[in-house]
Parts: sequence; C-alpha cells; structure tokens
Amino acid sequence: MIATPPSRRTFLAGAGAVTATALLSGCVTSGSGSGKGQSAKGPVTLQSNLSSPQAKSAMEKLVAAYGKKGGPGAKLNTVASETFRTQLPTYLTSANPPDVLTWYPGSVADTYAKQGLLLDISDIWSGPDLSTYSDAQKKLCTDSRGKKVFVPTDYYWWGVFYRKSHFKKWGVTEPKTWDEFLTVCETIKGHKVASIGLGAGNGTTWVASSWFDYLDIRINGAQYHRDLLAGKHRFDDPQVHKVFDRWSEALPYFDPNGTALAFQDATTALLQGRTGMMLIGTFFADAAPKDALDDIDFFRFPIIDPKVPAAEEGPTDGYFASAHTPHAGEVKNFMSYLATVEAQEIYLKGSSGTSIPVNPKAKDSGTPLVKKGRALIENAADVTQFFNRDSSDALQPSADTALTHFLSKPKDIASILTTWQRDAQKIWSQ
Amino acid sequence: MAVLTAPTRRRRATRVPPVVLAFVLLPLLAEGFFVFWPAIQGFYLSLTDWNGVSAPTFVGLANYREMFGDGVFGKAFLDTVLWLVLFGGLSIVLGLGAALLLQQERRGIGFYRAALFLPVVFSLVATALVWQAMYQPDGLINQALRGLGLGSWAHPWLADQSTALYAVIVPALWREIGYVMVLYLAGLKGIDPMLYEAAKVDGASRAQQFRYVTLPQLSSVNAVVISVIVIDSLRSFDVVWALTRGGPYHSSELLSTYMYSTAFQSLRLGYGSALAVVIFILAFGVIVSYLVRAFREAD
Repeated sequence: MIATPPSRRTFLAGAGAVTATALLSGCVTSGSGSGKGQSAKGPVTLQSNLSSPQAKSAMEKLVAAYGKKGGPGAKLNTVASETFRTQLPTYLTSANPPDVLTWYPGSVADTYAKQGLLLDISDIWSGPDLSTYSDAQKKLCTDSRGKKVFVPTDYYWWGVFYRKSHFKKWGVTEPKTWDEFLTVCETIKGHKVASIGLGAGNGTTWVASSWFDYLDIRINGAQYHRDLLAGKHRFDDPQVHKVFDRWSEALPYFDPNGTALAFQDATTALLQGRTGMMLIGTFFADAAPKDALDDIDFFRFPIIDPKVPAAEEGPTDGYFASAHTPHAGEVKNFMSYLATVEAQEIYLKGSSGTSIPVNPKAKDSGTPLVKKGRALIENAADVTQFFNRDSSDALQPSADTALTHFLSKPKDIASILTTWQRDAQKIWSQ
Repeated sequence: MAVLTAPTRRRRATRVPPVVLAFVLLPLLAEGFFVFWPAIQGFYLSLTDWNGVSAPTFVGLANYREMFGDGVFGKAFLDTVLWLVLFGGLSIVLGLGAALLLQQERRGIGFYRAALFLPVVFSLVATALVWQAMYQPDGLINQALRGLGLGSWAHPWLADQSTALYAVIVPALWREIGYVMVLYLAGLKGIDPMLYEAAKVDGASRAQQFRYVTLPQLSSVNAVVISVIVIDSLRSFDVVWALTRGGPYHSSELLSTYMYSTAFQSLRLGYGSALAVVIFILAFGVIVSYLVRAFREAD
C-alpha cells in the first residue's frame, strides 16, 4: 500500500470509513454503559429485566395502559435478565439513570438505599392502594433508615410439590412434620423412585439454597436466618451445624442426579414420576404441560420444631426508582399506578398464571393451586425472600459452592462451613 | 480531516505522507481509547477495593497479597496450568497428527478436512450446549455406555468434581484440533518436496524424515500455533462457564472463570481486576519468552 500511494478519493473513502466506525462504536459504548435516561420533560423510563416473551408483552400492555391515562406516560426498555443483574449498579450510579427499575425489596434494595441511590417514596405509601398493603410488605419495602423505597407488585411461593396421582399410587399423604416427611420418603423409596428431586445442576445451582433457607427458618427461625445472611451470625455456628444435621437425615432420599440436572429437567422428572417430590418455586409450573398442571399439588415444608413460628419463602418482585431522576413527581405518579389493582391485574393476566398480586384487592388467576399458595403466604408467621434476596447476589455463589460440596461430601461439613464463613466474610466486609 | 488533507508541499521528501500518518494514527486513537485506556484502568482497579457502587478505595497491593492465601486462586491456577498442558499439548499433537494424515491429496480428503474443521465454525457456547446435552445423566454418552454394557461407568460427568474439568476440556479440544490442523496443513504445504526426495536418497526412514525434515521446517508455524494455543487456553472461559460455571465447588475453576465470578457475581471488582492482571502477565510472559527464544534460534 505504501509502495503505491492511494489516490485522494480512496483516501477520503478510507478515512470516512474509519471515522464512521469510530463514531458508531462510540455510540454503542456510550449507549450501553448507562441507562436511557430522559430529560425532565419526557416520559418516565422503565428499565425492565422481565425479558421472557410472555412477561415482556405483559409489561408492554401495562405501559400502554398507563400511557392512556394522559400525562407524559412511560417508556419501557427491556434488558436480558443476566445483563440487567450485572449492570444494575452501573444503571443506578450513572449520571443519567433510568427512572424506574424492576428489582427486589428487602436487603437487596436496602444495599442501594444505604448508598443514597434510591428515591424516597414514603409519601406515595399513604396513597389509596399502598396503604392497604400488608404489614409484612410495608416492613419489606422500608429501608434501614425507615424510608419506603420500593413498590411491590407480585410474589410467588415455594412448597414441596408432587403429583396427586403418584401419591395415591404410592399410598402416601401430605406430611406435616419432619418425621412424617421422612416416612413418606422411605415409602416412596420402597417403590424404587428417588423420593426428593433437587435440580441444582447445569446453571441452576442456586435452587439448593431453598433447602438451606427452609431448614434454617424451621430450625432457627426467620429472624436468625436473616441475621445470619446479613453477617450478624457465623456460618460455622453450632446452630448452622444443626441445619446440616437435619439435612443429612434426608440426604439418602435425594435423587443422585440432583446436582447434575437443571431445575427444568428435575421438574420434568417429577412430572414423569421419576422423582417423588420437589421443593421448588411456582415458576416451574409456567413450563409444565396443562394436563399435568391439574394433577400438581404442594404441601408446606414440614415443621421440624413446633416452637419455631412457621415462616415461608415468598419472593416478592416490584420496582424502585433512582434517586437521581430529574422528574420525581412523574416517577411517583407512575409508581402509584403500578400499585393499583388495574396495573397488577393487567400484568398478571398477560404473564404466567402462578404469581400472586401484592395488592390485597387484586384478583389472582383463581386456580386451586394459586388460592392455596396465597393462603400459605397470607397465614405465614413471617415471610422470607430467598437466599440471594435476603442477602445479596454477591453472597449467592458462596452458598452454591458450600451446598454442592455438602451434597456430594456431607461428611466434610465442618470444613465446608469454615470455608463458607471465610468466603462470606470477604463479601460482607466490602 | 481538513487538517490531514492540507497540502504539504514543503519538505515533502522527508516527511511521511499524511495519508499514511492518518491510517496509522486514527486506528491507534480508536484502539487507545477503546482498548488501552480501559486496560490501564483495569491495572488501577486491581490496586483498589471496589464493589461497583461506591467509590473505589485504594488498597495498594493487598489484592495481590490476598491471592497467596486464597485456596480457590491456587486451585484455579493449577487448573489453568493443567488446562494449558492438556488442552494445549493434546491440540498440538492431535492437530499435527490430523494434518499429517490429511495432507496427501486423495479422493474424499476434502470431506474429512471439512469435518474436522467444522467445529471451529460453531460458536463455542452453542458447542457447549450440545455437549451439555450429551453429558446429561440420561444423555447420549451415558446411554451409549449402558448400551455397551458399561452401565457402571455411567456418570453425571459435569456434576462430579473428579471428572468435571476433563469433561469440559473435551469439547474445547474438539474445536481446537480442527483449527490447529488447518494451521499445520498450511505449514506442511509450504515444505519443499525436494527436501523429502533428498532425505529419501540419503536413506532416511519415515520417522527420520519426520524428525529431521518436517519438524524443523514447521518451526515458524509452531510459533503461531503456540501463541494461538496459549492465548486460547488462558482466555478459555465461554465453554467452562456454559458447562459448569467453574463448579461443582471450584473443581473446574480456571483463572478466567474465577475472575469473572469474583468480579461480576461477588462484585469484588478490585480483586477481580487483580486476577485479570495475573492472567495478562501469564499470557504475555509465556508468549514473549517463546517468541524471543524462537527468534534467537532463527538468528
């Protein structure tokens, strides 16, 4: 190229192409780094991680319905959930953040609230809808300084799911206590079926945390559990050892492929009768065939110590807003709308049928399963969120490592808990 | 652009033509802004403690000191070395073997070459998904073993800490062999056939021809292959992440996956950056020392 100098025209074309490329890549980088913030006049921007086709179209309907109310309306920006999770700190700290974001209440929201990144929306909580929400929800949406920072919209529940027809075939009924549960496991094992499915393999290792959560809240209570996850107790506590002693009693009944299958495959195994029961959240039912769905039932995780009030896991979803939004008034208006019966019913109708609206007046899908689930959570003494939501996403990998290690080498529990404590300490200390 | 194209009649003979300057400087500017600047920032972050939300705090070399006491880092380091040796070594041996087998022009040879090269075309994540299905407890591999009466060998390959790393190496190798084969095929084509004739006249056996003609003639290709393999081994991430995420309990952890999970899952971006710096130094060190040696031998 140097041997034969290019003509002026070729040069211009080349230089133009280079500049264009640089400009284009510049746009892409700056665009993806920060949220699509708007000027103070435009619509409220809503950054959503609900990227499954069903949920996304339900969100589009919700935003369209809000647009018809007049006013500036809202603009939906859907991001793949894994991208959203890793980029969330960037969204919130950027100079021009999205106004409203989907996320979780409780400890996760409080982490950001402590950094002064979340909009204080205490005033809208006295509105006609939010003031009727349950006390548990009010507590959940309040940050550690006593300000409300979150609008919850829907939740789901965890339970031990099974197929009614299979239980009938094996001649077992829903156990209420831990001992009854172990008897049921023994009976199912007698039929050459793995009693307990798990689904903690292939990228869904976090499912194993449900067992840790439930055993801990049944043995040590919900408050101890939350304190433990917040770093106020140690993972090598004798009380945590008790959790794993109980778990060891049930380990012989676990599906040996429990840590090899993702929860989607594990629930298929459950529906096909290759496993007997499974502790899982209702989200699994979204992918279950309709005819199997009528045959599915669940029971509450068995009571271990009757003196410990029965708390349940009821992970709640909803919205918080950025403290840096240039139009707080419109944002609060939109968030009040998200709390209404109308908004929650629009979303639930369009999305899968197994979540439950937080607004006590909003109708759920009305199936017997959902009614039973709603009663479970409404009658619970306390509601926990889930391991990562009660602590942080940063702590979740330490649990995944510890629990898969325990599942394959239960005898090493002492050293596993020491390592877990050391790993967790690094996360808590930042 | 107006400045760049301005006439430069005086001292034209001694100056580099502005066109050339532009072609060098513009990409350098883009590269500097999008590659070097973030890389330098990465070095700085490795000296800080940062969770991605609050401002980073400067901690000096504390992150590097932490590595010495970090058992997972040690495990990931050894796994990376094992990966480099197994993945690198096997892809050189098997890639060269495949190239030697497929170098002669025979009928249908194109089909075999294409078949071996095909995995290179697939995205590694797609490859990983296919292998994941095969490794399932009821997947192709276990079913084949059961069909052969080796049911006792059937195994949750990816969920067992003693097999996970090797189970992940196989799909990575499956892909790399085709790539290395193509590089060696090109190298073999470049060898003057006269050399083999001369060797034959001197009574060299097949093994001697390989040892004294083929191997020395491939030395320049070796430099390329080794650089490619070292870089590919150290940046192997997608296939491991897609198959095991470094699990179960860190048994298939590489430096790259440990760096990702530390930085973007545990949100310890300072320590994650320090791990990235270590990976960079390793890759850079291995390649530079190899190239220096190769050039010295060439002189």
